[in-house]
Amino acid sequence: MIQTKNISFQYQKNDAVFTFPDINLGKEEPLLILGKSGIGKTTLLHIIAGLLNPKSGEVTIDGTNLQSLNSKQRDQFIGKHIGLVFQKNFANRSLTVLENLEARLFFSGKTANKNNIPNLLKALQIEGCQTQKINELSEGQLQRLGIALAVIHEPKLILADEPTASLDDDNCQNVMQLLINQAKTNKSNLIVITHDQRVKSLFQNILTL
Amino acid sequence: MNIWKISIKNLLHKPLYTALSVLALTISIGLLISIKQLDATLKQQFENNLADIDLVVGAKGSPLQLVLASVLHIDNPTGNISYDEAKKISKNRLVEMAIPMSYGDNFKGYRIVGSNISFSKFYKAEIEKGHDFKSPMEVVLGSDVANALQLKIGDTFLSSHGLAEEGSHEHPENFVVVGIYKQTHKVIDRLIVTPLESIWDVHNHEENEEHPSEESHHHAEENHHKAHNEETHNDQEITSLLVKFKNPMGLLRLPRQINSNTNMQAAIPKYEMERLFGFTGIGVKAISWIAYAILLISSLIIFINLFKMVKERAFDLALLRTYGASNFQLIKIVAYEGFVATFAAIFIGLILSKVGLFFVFKMLSNQFKQTIPQSLEFSNVITVLSWVMVMVVLAILLAILPILKMNVSKILSHEK
Repeated sequence: MIQTKNISFQYQKNDAVFTFPDINLGKEEPLLILGKSGIGKTTLLHIIAGLLNPKSGEVTIDGTNLQSLNSKQRDQFIGKHIGLVFQKNFANRSLTVLENLEARLFFSGKTANKNNIPNLLKALQIEGCQTQKINELSEGQLQRLGIALAVIHEPKLILADEPTASLDDDNCQNVMQLLINQAKTNKSNLIVITHDQRVKSLFQNILTL
Repeated sequence: MNIWKISIKNLLHKPLYTALSVLALTISIGLLISIKQLDATLKQQFENNLADIDLVVGAKGSPLQLVLASVLHIDNPTGNISYDEAKKISKNRLVEMAIPMSYGDNFKGYRIVGSNISFSKFYKAEIEKGHDFKSPMEVVLGSDVANALQLKIGDTFLSSHGLAEEGSHEHPENFVVVGIYKQTHKVIDRLIVTPLESIWDVHNHEENEEHPSEESHHHAEENHHKAHNEETHNDQEITSLLVKFKNPMGLLRLPRQINSNTNMQAAIPKYEMERLFGFTGIGVKAISWIAYAILLISSLIIFINLFKMVKERAFDLALLRTYGASNFQLIKIVAYEGFVATFAAIFIGLILSKVGLFFVFKMLSNQFKQTIPQSLEFSNVITVLSWVMVMVVLAILLAILPILKMNVSKILSHEK
């Protein structure tokens, strides 16, 4: 389902070259990538997400080689098939929770998924926030909205970059569990990168960089 | 959900900045359109009022005053000239039409002009109701006079001496309304036209003084007319002579002849008006420059607002890229924000200029006692709006530059 082969990356000429182990992920197998800061975790995640071009190697998602797509095709592919969760989830502050989700669906071209929004918000325990603006949400609610934005379009792959780093212990377990459940419900692959040891127990499949 | 909606929500999210952008732009658009329209309307109105009058001959003095008094009817005349002298000019072969005009009285602030029935030809004013005047003391009213004073055919009134509404005593003679001109939007709309003889009569009676009764009054008048006919007319005076030439040659020869060989002066209305606009034009120019400066400032404000949004919300925009939005869609979000603010400003600006001008023209109409048709030159509006669009598009283009250079990965990993 998700394969990376011989990925290496260099920010600028004469910079150190990052090399990454190959990843081979079957259907619905969540993967946790652990590693210290500065080791290139986010870089790897962005390469898998198609936001960065590797120096060498290739990423294949469900049979599509990202490196073979032109930039427009890749934009569309990312929008449709990948969901990103960040440590801090910014959404458009001018829009409400509901409008943000609608915008997300509009840009990925999956407006039909609009009907799933209420159920999703319920599953994430933020069904009461629909008409709230982003700056009215708590940290935990914001992170749940981040998950909603990453899964509402039913992507093939969910990539989470330090999703729990800014959460307390309770919220950390809670949010991570929700993320895993959502990936399962949507039949999406999930890759989480973090230095947060607290979430280790939730994964069988762990890669340490 | 669509891009327009996102842009509008973005604008509403920062009402103060949006209001500032719109307000500044509104002021410049409103000011530019108003000043251009005011300028165009007044110029056209003055030119309209000049009608076909190529030359005015009157008493020596300021040529501008002569034109203002005898052509635009907004100043006091320079004095009187001899009717016989004026008649000599009429006979010149370069003259197509020469019409004598005499002032003296007013009725409730509207000037009574003594002339002959050809006077209306200058203004192409046709009779709407009644008929042209045939004998002394009959008057034809301009349409604004008839409207303002609610006078009908057959009504009579007494004139007041002088051109000012207030003061001075009333003349005992009754003027009779026999006709009303159609509206021309020219100066004749606010004049009361009567034969020259009415003016002479009124003022000669003045000298004769006192009429014991109505009966004897009529007699007196008849006798008076007889006296007029017997007299050699050489003591009769008029205020000015309005001249239309057969061809432009007249303009070259006659003014110089009159100014050097007679004790009268000849003034060319078109030339005097150009001189006048030369003075008022400075004010119009100054206001225009101020308005353009405000336009510059308002496009700067729009640029700063958009640029700020692009910079501060780089993460939001990068996020949209991961949602599958293209660069072009991000640019549209920013551009639409600018355009929505601009169109709002154009809309409000146009309304404001309309409302503002309505009151300005109402004031002017009251002052000139003449309805002034607003002439909004479409090309003026287009010029103003083109400038606005150029400035706004420039502001938008500069603001979206960071989007073109945006590194999504870098923004997403740095904001962590």
